[in-house]
Formats: sequence, C-alpha cells, structure tokens
Amino acid sequence: MQHSVRRLVLDVLKLRDPPLTEFASTLCSLPSIEGVKVSLVEIDQNTESVKVTIEGNDINLEDVKKLMKDHGAVIHSIDEVLVQKTPSDKP
Amino acid sequence: MESLNQIINRIKLYIKVTHIGDIARRYFVKNGMDGSMTVLGIILGSWAAKVEDPYVIVMAGFGACLAMGVSGLFGAYITEKAERKRIIKDLEESILSDLDGSLQQNASEFVPALAALVDGLSPSLTATVSLIPFIMSMIGLLSIWDSYVISMILTFATLFALGLFLGRVARERMWLYGLQMVAAGAVITLIVYVLGGF
Repeated sequence: MQHSVRRLVLDVLKLRDPPLTEFASTLCSLPSIEGVKVSLVEIDQNTESVKVTIEGNDINLEDVKKLMKDHGAVIHSIDEVLVQKTPSDKP
Repeated sequence: MESLNQIINRIKLYIKVTHIGDIARRYFVKNGMDGSMTVLGIILGSWAAKVEDPYVIVMAGFGACLAMGVSGLFGAYITEKAERKRIIKDLEESILSDLDGSLQQNASEFVPALAALVDGLSPSLTATVSLIPFIMSMIGLLSIWDSYVISMILTFATLFALGLFLGRVARERMWLYGLQMVAAGAVITLIVYVLGGF
C-alpha cells in the first residue's frame, strides 16, 4: 500500500539570511511541495527559530533536509506529520 | 549549465546574503578617491617640475594606477577572505552545524573576488579619467598646458561626483559632500603649490 506525506510541521533553526520570504520561496520550489508557511518563533543575533509548515503531495523529507542545509538551516524536530493514502490506492 | 539570468540572480542572492553591497560601496568610493588624489599629486608635481612630455605623466599615472589596482586586488581579496572565514565559523557555531556546500559558504567564497574587483578597478577607473587629456596631448589633440588645466578640472569633477554619490548614500545634501571631497583635492593642490613654488 502506498502512502504519501502531505503535511509536515518542522521546528527549524535557520540563519537570518536568507530572510523568511526567500527561505519559504526556496522550499516551495521543490516539485512535491505545494505550499509553505514559515512562522517566526524566536530571533537571535545570527539565527532565527522558525516553525515551518509544508504541504504537498508525497513530500520527501530528505529533499527538504538537504535544501534547508544548503540554505543554512537545520531541522531540530518534526512536530507534526500528515500521511495519506495515495489516490490510486483508495478503494 | 546555468543561464545568464540564473547566474545574475545567484550573484544578487550572494550579495544580499553577505551584505557585501555596503562594503563594496565603501571600497569603491575610498579607493576611487585614492586613485584621483594620487594622479592629482602626479599632475601637480609634474606641473611644478614643468614637465612638458605628456608621455612621462601618462606612464607615471598608469604606473601608479597599476600599483594601486594590484594592491587593491590582492589586499581586498585576502582581507575579505579572512573576514568571511571568520563569519562562517561564527555562523556555524550559532547553528551548531557545518555550512559546507551551503548558500552562505558559496557566497563567502564568491564575495572576496567581487570585493577585490571593486577595490582593484575603482582607483584605475578614476585615475584614467584624469589622464585622458594627457593621452589626447600625446596624439596631438591638445597642448600639454591645456591638458594640465583640463585634467585638473576632470579630477576635481571626479572628486565632486564621488562626493555626490556619498551624499546620496547618506541621504543628505549631496553638494555638501561633493564640496568636502573637492576640499581634500584643494588641500593637496595647496601643499604641492607651497612645496613646488608654482
């Protein structure tokens, strides 16, 4: 049975540059991602703690991790996951 | 293979992430002024020594340009590289992770080259403006004494333009900054006048 990750909520520590809009746009450029919401939780001299909500079809966590690392961000924790059966598997 | 548009966008992103725009602006004005002032010194000194061969002034000017350019190129590259390494290490400590292959790391490798280009080319650019009348004199378009006068006017105009640019950066009265830069040139003129006895 096939499942796909439709929604992820991540606790992320990122550098202040690139700013939130560009960071969100970059994440949204991944093919499986349809929408990204980034909320600022805490701000420091060099870093920002953000809550990243990603919605899409069959989100690949490894791709997200790699893209974040490439932009100076690390995932602290995965706070929420929504997995659904792919349409072809539904009865 | 990246298209030209993608390369330009990437460079813009690197400039934004590293905030090199502000630093490059300072390098440009400071070294541009250096270039103008150095050539002004050469021109005034040549005038005081009554040099009538424009070739001597052009070669002395370009020699000084080259020295400033190479010095700026290497100096800015090494300085900026060291600063960027330090910044990356600070950022890595902040984020508790390495930044190998990241946007920040790539940008930090790119910006020293950009800073070096600005630092190296700006004095050459401003100095060349001041030397144009002497090049024209070499090919017989101007007399040497007209070249001196036009070159002085061009040098002070360059200094004034750099001042205007600074005034625009400061969002204050541009002409006031222009006059301050011209005053620096006037000081050099006065000193050479006193030392050389026009």
